[in-house]
Amino acid sequence: MSEIVTERESEMDARAAAIRDEQLHARRVRVDRMFTWLFLVQYVAGIIAALTVSPYAWEGKVHTVHLHVWIAVIGGAGIIILPILLSIFRPGTTLTRHVIAASQMLASALLIHLTGGRIETHFHVFGSLAFLAFYLDWTALITATVVVAADHFLRGIFWPESVYGVANPEWWRFLEHAGWVAFEDVFLIWACVMGRREIAASAARQAQVEHLSELEQLKSAALEMAMAEMQVAS
Amino acid sequence: MKRRALITGSLIVAGLIWAATVGAMYHAVRRFETTPGRGAASRVLWPASSRIVRDHDRWTLVMLIHPHCSCTRASLQELERIIEMSGTSLQTYVLVYRPADFQAGWEKTETFEAAKRLQRAHIIVDPDGAEARLFGGFTSGQTFLYDREGALRFSGGVTSLRGHAGVNRGSMDVVDIVHAKARQCTHPVFGCAIVTTESEQRQ
Repeated sequence: MSEIVTERESEMDARAAAIRDEQLHARRVRVDRMFTWLFLVQYVAGIIAALTVSPYAWEGKVHTVHLHVWIAVIGGAGIIILPILLSIFRPGTTLTRHVIAASQMLASALLIHLTGGRIETHFHVFGSLAFLAFYLDWTALITATVVVAADHFLRGIFWPESVYGVANPEWWRFLEHAGWVAFEDVFLIWACVMGRREIAASAARQAQVEHLSELEQLKSAALEMAMAEMQVAS
Repeated sequence: MKRRALITGSLIVAGLIWAATVGAMYHAVRRFETTPGRGAASRVLWPASSRIVRDHDRWTLVMLIHPHCSCTRASLQELERIIEMSGTSLQTYVLVYRPADFQAGWEKTETFEAAKRLQRAHIIVDPDGAEARLFGGFTSGQTFLYDREGALRFSGGVTSLRGHAGVNRGSMDVVDIVHAKARQCTHPVFGCAIVTTESEQRQ
């Protein structure tokens, strides 16, 4: 008897895990699609920003198309091509999520640059992290954070004025910037873990309902059979 | 099977493009931002033939700007900070370049408006960069600081890179000189060209 119960429980657990994975996958495919559109919107916004803020470079009265416009058009396209193709052909996979996370941070860096390093554009990084949390996969947030930290670390070594304004900042200064990202990460990671738990609990409930419904169907079938047998006997 | 191979191949190519773009973009932006414009010619005294009347009781700061240079907005932001930190001991002039054969009004850009909004700063339109040449400047954002005797004490830009506002050595030096914390400094200047080699040869 206890063996039957254990077997049913493990069947129910397996079914709950399958429902959970299915729901997570469906959710992640939807988020991949959302990012595809977001990348396209950001791409257009980047070009508009470049055309608005710095359309031309000048030499006296002669002007040529500014480098920022080329960077927005060609560089912007280069950044989004891989995540968009992955979200079309490999939606919902771990690789797609991580490439999207890295590309979104690069898109933030590009937008910050195109708007002349405006402090307001830095909010894009924090907004992007919140969007990445929709995946309910905290590892994607880590990838995004590593990209931000690496960007600051490498620029701090090779090109410090672009981040800190001075040529010889302390080596640890990138940690201060990345620290604010990590600060947001703590809460988003917690939200991811909680979100996954809620999905798992809902999947377990659904598996239980399905199991009970199955039992009910079996009981009904047995009852109908018994009734039919009684009718035949009478 | 063929479709699968095609998709995998496309993704690999996209991955290579992605990696190459990131590398190339960093390289291009770094080169662009860190390459300074042409530094000023060495002049040690206030140019006597300038039509700007220098105030002998105060420090005089002259900044040259190209009104269509997007990087110059950062220089103006820094200038605003310098004016604020230097107080009334500083007299500021912003010389706005305009080609002589272009219609008046060409210079009225957002950058020009930003210059007009500066406190205690005089805006002077400089046809063909004639004044800029007198001061020996070639690049938008070029800043000169003269003491009460008319001796040049600072020459250079007040941003750390092209189009980057924020604390930097150039603007800090200007404030330090005005407050007698430094004697004389130079700094690279980042911006579009005002006086080009070609226009210089024409003169």
